[in-house]
Amino acid sequence: MDSTVEVTRLGSRLMPYLAVLQHDLITLRASRLVRLWFGATVVLTLLLIAGNWTQFQDGPLIASLLFPYLVFPWFFVIVVLGVSPVSGSRADILADGILSRPVSRSTYLLATWSARVVLIWGVYLVVMVPAVLLVTLAKRPVPDDAVTLYGIVSAIGIVGLVLTFLTSLAFLAGTVLRRPLLALVVLVFLWYPVGLILSVFSLEEFSPISLSQAISTQLRQTLRTPETPADSSARAEETPVVPRQMERFFDVFSGAPSAPAAARPEFFEGGEFGDFSLLRVVLGYGLPTLLTVLLALLCFHWRDL
Amino acid sequence: MESAIRTEHLTKIYRQRLIAVNDMNLDVPQGSVFGLLGPNGAGKTTTLRLLLGLQRPTAGRAEIFGRSCGPNAVDVRSQIGYLPTNPKFPGNLRPIEYLDLLGKLCRLPSQRRKPRISALLRTVGLLGATDQRIETFSTGMCTRLGIAASLVADPPLLLWDEPTAGLDPSARRFTLDLIREFGETKTVVVATHILSDIDQICDHIGVMHEGRMIFTGSTQDMKRRLRCDAFRLELDGEAEDIRQLVQDLAELEGVDARLGPGLAVLVQMTEGRSRAAALAEALKLVDTTNLLLKAIHSGPNATEDAYLQLLQEHEAHGFHR
Repeated sequence: MDSTVEVTRLGSRLMPYLAVLQHDLITLRASRLVRLWFGATVVLTLLLIAGNWTQFQDGPLIASLLFPYLVFPWFFVIVVLGVSPVSGSRADILADGILSRPVSRSTYLLATWSARVVLIWGVYLVVMVPAVLLVTLAKRPVPDDAVTLYGIVSAIGIVGLVLTFLTSLAFLAGTVLRRPLLALVVLVFLWYPVGLILSVFSLEEFSPISLSQAISTQLRQTLRTPETPADSSARAEETPVVPRQMERFFDVFSGAPSAPAAARPEFFEGGEFGDFSLLRVVLGYGLPTLLTVLLALLCFHWRDL
Repeated sequence: MESAIRTEHLTKIYRQRLIAVNDMNLDVPQGSVFGLLGPNGAGKTTTLRLLLGLQRPTAGRAEIFGRSCGPNAVDVRSQIGYLPTNPKFPGNLRPIEYLDLLGKLCRLPSQRRKPRISALLRTVGLLGATDQRIETFSTGMCTRLGIAASLVADPPLLLWDEPTAGLDPSARRFTLDLIREFGETKTVVVATHILSDIDQICDHIGVMHEGRMIFTGSTQDMKRRLRCDAFRLELDGEAEDIRQLVQDLAELEGVDARLGPGLAVLVQMTEGRSRAAALAEALKLVDTTNLLLKAIHSGPNATEDAYLQLLQEHEAHGFHR
């Protein structure tokens, strides 16, 4: 088979997806909300850097720059961007203009979701990368910090993943509830006490506050830290954590009495954050992200427009 | 003749409360200009949305060119050009950008898309507005853009919902001419409640009332259903002569005549009386007077009368149906 024909066929198949993605990106980029957000996040980042220039080492300073994305106020902007694609008056435009064309609903939904994720990652990286470079490369009157490239990339990646999850959650809420304002209120009431909700399921390590606290430690991690005997025992202890968390999760829903927990220090007890697991956090946010997108697809597939 | 659209027991009930489409069986022949006629809320738009897969039927099925309709029936939608009532567009775009987006959605390669867009904008008379944002467009311009949008992929079936709603007379005339032109090469379904539009452009008609299809057939079939047993003579002359004519006409066998509004005479025939013979005798009488015959009307609007008659019959016999 001629490879050019294959490429053309693939291009033809992807054309509607790319068209919606491009259209949504242009529309979002032109929106006042995104412009305001971009301006505000640049200003806030500069203020945080200037305010802590002589006080914080690299790790805490970068963590403070990431804090607004994890907790407040950018959570709100991201949720607003996420809830709107298939709800409100926009639903009429998309039904009349786009979904009456030869485009499947899943293609449309995935394209609009991708557009939001790309835009949010774009704004986030455009602001954060220069800020982090400035903080790490500039000569500052503070003691040197052991921040690593791996630590920076993984910390930025974790926050990006949380932002992707938030976008997806907002996307699902907007699709299910149909009214953007209602979806927004529900998400605000869900996200702010999320630490409390996660602690019920023994999943507090995934809460945004815990993550923002753990990021300073993560920034100092190396890709291949030589494993000490103490690390090995810690890893051995970590192995059953995921099944235990799952068990606890289902126990809460079923109302079954959970097995007594082994005597183990609470998560992050002592403020060392040494038991922070990048893999668990990636899975803990990555899988729910996929799940929310799938649920949004299912919900939208069954909806009358 | 093969069917472009076929529905079997198509039913749509909203939230177990409102029956929008009720057990509809429809057959639209390929190459016809089909008028989907009905009062507001009859279920015309819902029917079109069911065909497009924007809504799911509660029961029954619909096929377009032999393929089942549904939300993911992309191949079916590639055969349809849809024009919604008062179409809504992304206001921030310009017409070329919007049509280009739709062309990409229809998977048209760039070398086909660009000339097509240019030709369409010329056809609908929007070449002069290509640098304006759509949000600045008037209702008529939006309808023209909607028409162009429905034609981007040159589909064999057009579903146009109220295409003349809110248009001024020239824009209306333009739209009707376009439908007539497309009717020569495509199947066109026009949903409307404007009877004069149907009268001018459609060769087949389906009449919907309260979600049911109460009549389908050719325009001629529908007009034949009307008992046309009256006509109106529009005259010019002395009032006394007209009164005399009325008396003379009333003496004819099986004919009843009376003065109409202005200088008109209404002639009513009894059942069984030949319409042509009665008209011939009436005209002979007019010829013997000093009156000038200006026009003969056989009713206000044959299609309108037939349509209203259908609705009345359906309401009267609805229970039996």
